Amino acid sequence: MNTQIQTTLVDSANEFHKLSRQTNIDIRDLTISFKTPKGVYTAVKDINLQVAKGEIVSIIGHSGCGKSTLMNAISGMVKPSKGEVIANGKVVKGPGPDRGIVFQNYSLLPWLSVYKNIFEAVDSVMTGKTRAEKLTIVEDNLKMVNLWEHKDKLPGQLSGGMKQRVAIARAFAINPSILLLDEPFGALDALTKGSMHIELLKLWNLDNRNKTIVMVTHDIEEAIFLSDRVVVMNNGPEATIREIVDVPLDRPRNKKAIAHDPVYMDIHDRLLNLLFDKFSIED
Amino acid sequence: MNRLLNYQTYLPVLYFLASMSILIGIWALISVVTNNDIPTPGMTWVVFKEMIATPFYDYGSNDKGIGNQLVSSLGRVFTGFALGTVVAVPLGLIMGASPVGMRLLNPIVQILRPVSPLAWFPLGLLAFKAAAGATIFIIFITSLWPTLINTAFGVSSIPQDHKNVAKAFGFSTWRYVRRVVIPYALPHIITGLRLSMGVAWLVIVAGEMLSGGMGIGFFVWDSWNALSLEKILCAILIIGTVGLLLDKGFDALQKQFAYS
Repeated sequence: MNTQIQTTLVDSANEFHKLSRQTNIDIRDLTISFKTPKGVYTAVKDINLQVAKGEIVSIIGHSGCGKSTLMNAISGMVKPSKGEVIANGKVVKGPGPDRGIVFQNYSLLPWLSVYKNIFEAVDSVMTGKTRAEKLTIVEDNLKMVNLWEHKDKLPGQLSGGMKQRVAIARAFAINPSILLLDEPFGALDALTKGSMHIELLKLWNLDNRNKTIVMVTHDIEEAIFLSDRVVVMNNGPEATIREIVDVPLDRPRNKKAIAHDPVYMDIHDRLLNLLFDKFSIED
Repeated sequence: MNRLLNYQTYLPVLYFLASMSILIGIWALISVVTNNDIPTPGMTWVVFKEMIATPFYDYGSNDKGIGNQLVSSLGRVFTGFALGTVVAVPLGLIMGASPVGMRLLNPIVQILRPVSPLAWFPLGLLAFKAAAGATIFIIFITSLWPTLINTAFGVSSIPQDHKNVAKAFGFSTWRYVRRVVIPYALPHIITGLRLSMGVAWLVIVAGEMLSGGMGIGFFVWDSWNALSLEKILCAILIIGTVGLLLDKGFDALQKQFAYS
């Protein structure tokens, strides 16, 4: 299809970001295999990816392409079989408070109130702060996602969008320099999803765009609207990065306006092409 | 007002009364068939009224009111049940949390669980040199298994999501136990306690028949020796009703701790 789209090769893209800003996440020759009853299953193979500080990067691909595995390697939930992940200058050995995670299915503790869900995370991570400081942090973050009046509700009493806002507030509350979002809006309806995108960018802006955000998604529009770069994965097993697509759209972006932007449409086409052209790779 | 007029409000009560009528009907039928060897509901009711008129009389060690017997039985049941709970819950937490613990303890549980309370009784006598101690012992040893197994199951089935939260936010072991393990396992533990209480109440009658002296089980045996089938039937109804109430109590507790 459209061939004169501005896409960059993996290396040159990384080069650009290395030069422009300090690297915050450095994934080097990452391979992750799991032992299964049927033998060793390699989810992702030889992944190299650098993410700069304050950058928003989406990882996109078909189900089972190892996007979540790649994400879990950054969060430290799974250990690399080969290679390493360096986050904030340190080799990732396990989950840490410098990397906040928003899980696919919200993962709120259902027996704790909205307030308590956030407080427990803050209380656990921010050991140096006084109780009063911790309470202020919880309050600020709940107000930021407009859930202060729902603070005493249990997660079961909230809608999907509200639950996701609690999960995002919880991840922001521990003030991580890296935010990892694993298909955060996958379970939401289109309208709620749209306002959540704006909400997320608002929070990112409030923090002077200092937080690095890596997001797994299978939604092309979402990936373009939010990201500086979109990483397209090949299909697993042994998934690799197929291509990294730059999104040179100015911020702040307007959801309605960019839909008609030729650059947006080109990127959209390009991503569609990459995602639904799998036969050329497999066969 | 509307609710009071609606027949559906009274439906559970009506069903209960109908159910009791069936029971009494069958009972009356059996009395007729056995030529009143099994006392009729009416004859039993007369004796029952006498029994509950003075439930707490005490005419010496062999003649005590039904209330005294019941209190004594409940005391033993709760003592044995409490001891069992104190052992079963921590052990269940260990079994559920550690695969090694599970593998080491599970075979023991599986072998000891099906043993009849009566088989444990001599060991209780040997250990405590007294029938009362032995009765509490057999309640303890037979009622702890449901709680143990349910606790272990509850802990071992904590969803990965909840574990991930604890990992991602660096929960300490204590915070993990307090905020994830216990709240998640609590409904399972209470289900276990409910089943354990059922077992304990089942076992007490057999235990007291062996131990003698006091309690509702002893009362049944004593009534048999006195050939008062009316009293036995009354005791059966009382045992059943108390068992039902205990179960309802735990049911209410279960609802209290259910979250959604």
